[in-house]
Amino acid sequence: MRPDFKSSRHPRPRSLLRIRALRAVAQRARAATTVACAVACGAALAQDGKVDPLAVGRQLLAEDNPGELWVQRGEKLFHAKRGPRQVSLEQCDFGLGPGKLTGAFPRLPRYFPDTGKVQDLESRLLTCMVELQGYARADIVKGAFSTLDHDSDMEALASFVASRSNGMSMNVQLDHEKEREMYKAGEYLFHRRSGPTDFACVTCHGDEGKRIRLQELPNMTDRKQIQAVVSGWPAYRGTQSTVRTMQHRLYDCNWQMRLPDLDFASDMSIALTTYLNYSGNGAVIQAPGVRR
Amino acid sequence: MAWLTFAPALVVLGCAAFPDEQSARVAGESIVAQAYPGMPEVLTRRAVQDPPQRICSKIGPGKITQEEAAEVIRLSRASIKYPASGKLVGDWKTGAALAYSGVGTRVRDGKVEKVKENGALCSNCHMLDPREVNAGNLGPSLAGYGSQRGSTDAVTQYTYERIYNAWAFVPCSNMPRLGANGHLTPEQIAHVVAYLIDPQSPVNRK
Amino acid sequence: MAEPMKIRATVKGDVADIRVLIAHPMETGQRRDAKGELVPQHFIQSIVVTYNGKTVYTGQWSQAVSRNPVFAVRVRGAKAGDKVSVTWVDNKGDRRTDEKTVDAA
Repeated sequence: MRPDFKSSRHPRPRSLLRIRALRAVAQRARAATTVACAVACGAALAQDGKVDPLAVGRQLLAEDNPGELWVQRGEKLFHAKRGPRQVSLEQCDFGLGPGKLTGAFPRLPRYFPDTGKVQDLESRLLTCMVELQGYARADIVKGAFSTLDHDSDMEALASFVASRSNGMSMNVQLDHEKEREMYKAGEYLFHRRSGPTDFACVTCHGDEGKRIRLQELPNMTDRKQIQAVVSGWPAYRGTQSTVRTMQHRLYDCNWQMRLPDLDFASDMSIALTTYLNYSGNGAVIQAPGVRR
Repeated sequence: MAWLTFAPALVVLGCAAFPDEQSARVAGESIVAQAYPGMPEVLTRRAVQDPPQRICSKIGPGKITQEEAAEVIRLSRASIKYPASGKLVGDWKTGAALAYSGVGTRVRDGKVEKVKENGALCSNCHMLDPREVNAGNLGPSLAGYGSQRGSTDAVTQYTYERIYNAWAFVPCSNMPRLGANGHLTPEQIAHVVAYLIDPQSPVNRK
Repeated sequence: MAEPMKIRATVKGDVADIRVLIAHPMETGQRRDAKGELVPQHFIQSIVVTYNGKTVYTGQWSQAVSRNPVFAVRVRGAKAGDKVSVTWVDNKGDRRTDEKTVDAA
């Protein structure tokens, strides 16, 4: 069983209001003196001196990213004694040793000897919540994606842990044989066509300047564009009023491709994340990012 | 003592080896088989590749051989079915609604979404009516399709078959095989054909 | 208990730029939950910003404001070390006050 997405699937009309409010800010900014605008808009000023209202909105969201609220909540959850065993996640090992967070996220996914598996951030959090705190795996998986009626601890924790490496570069290593296996499987899966639409990831993400309707598609065969993607997940998604993780991003792509519900923390998701993160090595982490 | 300096280098080289394509394929297929636990067989079957999909998943340009391309075309040609009525041109207004609909066959919580009928997904990737800006560009613009080609029987049949199974013409193109995969019925495709070629259709109006 | 706000306050010249990020569901009363039931209205009704104890902004908000809203005010005659306090009250009577010291830019 997965949570019901009915309420969160479609862009909420009210997120338009946020945009409208930002446009209003932009208009006011335009009316303001150049000095005031230099403070408020900065980089949003185009070369010809005109203000791009959408760029102002994006910059305001980036400066005051609602995702910060998830980091705040994630930090509290991380240190709180929780679960049937009433312990915190402070002893959780993300690859650099128990409790070491800074620099852990840019190395993920990686091989973990204790589970014998290659794991990404979310699947590692899942392991710790089960092994350390004593939660039932199924319960965590069931609640891993938030809805408007239910907050996800996973989304908050992933935001917090990822944000501890902000400013550092993505640096997936592939030292272990299993990591290289996952990378190659990910490459294979990225190109694997199936389902009623014959889509592979590369069908939509393999060329420059492509769009589905008006939605621009990053070319995930170009290092710069991959870096722009992997630097900002987990991300606050304006259309969903919540932070989403890469697990959800891939779940949602899978849904668009008309495949069945992708299992949370599946090797499918981890193989693709290994392929993408390694290909995006060098990306400067800024999590949570802001996405449509 | 030369071997001492060599040994670490050899170890690094040995470790850095990636699995070959065949091993990656075996690993990838086993991963797909485990990606959808608890889903009904009727849905997990979607993730199983048919022979043309397998050929079309090869990585990198120029990897598909002449023989493989011919095989895709042969299988795709054989898949094409026509409406029972024999009419390949339906109603362009019905076709217009289909062309701009992107719904159908998506799965949430193990259930296929409930829709009146599947959309034809056209505008996700193609410009159709040149006045409609909300159109994708993964495929070429089809604005003026009919006014450029006319509406002879040959054009009609080509258009119908191209939508039914695009791979019969361009093996492994990005376009979904909408009829062959069962996403659209032959009758729905005939309506879309009408939308593309009818002189009254917005696609062909200047 | 509501989550704390995130307040940023920086002074440049003599103008303090105050940005407030509030964790709040801001339910319109028109959304239905997974069971199909209407979710009751739950939104911030009033918001007050004080600057060194003096009220500089009061707002009457409605359900038209987005979930987790961000808003900004600027105050003239500001200097680093000044105290900003933000208080909101919602239609269920929940309230929250957070404070911030103004930083130099």
